[in-house]
Amino acid sequence: MTELILQAIYSGLLQGGSYALIALGLAVVFGTMKVINLAHGELVLLAAYVAYAVESAFEVSPIVAIPVALLVVCVSAVLVYFLVDRIQKDRELNSLILTYGIGVMLTNAVLLIWKADIRSTKSAWLQDAVVIGPFYSMRSELGFFVLSLVLMGLLWWWLSKSWYGRAVRAVASNRDAAKLMGINPRTTEIVSFVVAGILAAFAGVALYSYGVIQPPLGHALTVKAFIITVLAGVGSIPGVLAGALLLGVVEALTVTLLSSALQEIAGMGLFLLVLFLMPNGLFGTVARRG
Amino acid sequence: MLQLDNVTVRFGGVIAVNGLSLSIATDEVTGLVGPNGAGKTTLFNAISGLARPSAGRIVFNSVDVLKAPVYRRARLGLGRTFQVPQPLSRLTVHENLLVAQRFATGSIDESRLREILAFVGLTEKAGRDATTELALSELKALEVGKALATNPKLLLLDEVLAGLETVGKRRFMQMLKDMHAKFGVGILIIEHDIETISNLCKRVAVLNFGELIADGTPEDVFRNPAVIKSYTGADHA
Repeated sequence: MTELILQAIYSGLLQGGSYALIALGLAVVFGTMKVINLAHGELVLLAAYVAYAVESAFEVSPIVAIPVALLVVCVSAVLVYFLVDRIQKDRELNSLILTYGIGVMLTNAVLLIWKADIRSTKSAWLQDAVVIGPFYSMRSELGFFVLSLVLMGLLWWWLSKSWYGRAVRAVASNRDAAKLMGINPRTTEIVSFVVAGILAAFAGVALYSYGVIQPPLGHALTVKAFIITVLAGVGSIPGVLAGALLLGVVEALTVTLLSSALQEIAGMGLFLLVLFLMPNGLFGTVARRG
Repeated sequence: MLQLDNVTVRFGGVIAVNGLSLSIATDEVTGLVGPNGAGKTTLFNAISGLARPSAGRIVFNSVDVLKAPVYRRARLGLGRTFQVPQPLSRLTVHENLLVAQRFATGSIDESRLREILAFVGLTEKAGRDATTELALSELKALEVGKALATNPKLLLLDEVLAGLETVGKRRFMQMLKDMHAKFGVGILIIEHDIETISNLCKRVAVLNFGELIADGTPEDVFRNPAVIKSYTGADHA
């Protein structure tokens, strides 16, 4: 039993890497625009299906599809931005309706093109087992977990050290003050959507490489990303990573100890528990006013 | 030179600034006073681009900036501070200035940033978090430092002395005087304290109900019956 639990924790941690990438994309966009992009999970779904399409059409590894997924998802993310940017009134609220609608359209587009069947990679190499001590995982699971850590490191560097990263943080901190410092908020908003698209593309290809995909997955991923950002308390990369790993572990333990039917409810239970006990999130701070 | 021609700002049915025309030189310190609700901050918002006038023209150094977005006005040399300091969170004091300089001027001049930090008295706090590790007087100094880092030609200071104790206020006032001389920046300052305005400014404009009711030297303006009436509600000639 102990071995099963330890294996579930290990698998949950690996799953958490992809969750963190998805949640960070949602958090970056929310930071600059104060918009919760409810179509974000569908962008991840799109990347997963691009990986499937490239693998099926050219009989290559889904890894080869990463550049195509990056292109398709980043262009889609920028299109979502331009639609959101057209909202003139109550953008924070109306964007929820708009992005939810975009999400539904993307899911249905995926359904129309690739049908409702469950898909998974045919690459045996990606699915080969990697054994580390008593723990088992697929090669793709471990590989994409490491890649997600690298991407998070790069994101941290970009936000901390690059000019546009600093501009994104400035706009997220105080939009008016940032504008008075000569920062064009529209440019930083587009950049934040592109960054979210890049993270979504990698996460989508990762999910396809070690899991199964089907059209309703996008919506579930948006909900998970939202849960993680609330768990983390928006604004910290280590916080989002910790929140994502926690969600991954809770889901994996639920599947192992209870039932796979309870996987989604476990995440929601964790979400409500944190909201009730720690309203600012596990790592959030109370903002100073005045 | 900042030229306001017949500027009107409305919020629904309320006219906050009503057909105001005014010229502000970029080589002097000008005071903007008036009772609460006179439209001073709204006028600052209109000049800096945070509020959109429904009528009129705003020309800064021969460029019509009425339709220019806020960030472009900042790049043209229109600096602005807020009454409540607005530091960028999760950035250090130095990074606040760095970002302002980089985006407003397009380049980095570390020696000038060090000069600004020393001038506003924040050299020792350069590496501190701007939102959690500064006292109010330091936050006010950072607000001025950020604006200076954008290399402004005209700086709009919105009640920058508010909330400071007497000694801090005198020190800050001296800093503003020195700033005008040292950095060659014009200043338009909103301030309620008459002593401060008289000390800092050679010219004062007075607003009431969104209209310009007086414009001249502090001595003349503060003896003006219309100005006295706007503050007290009664004639005290």
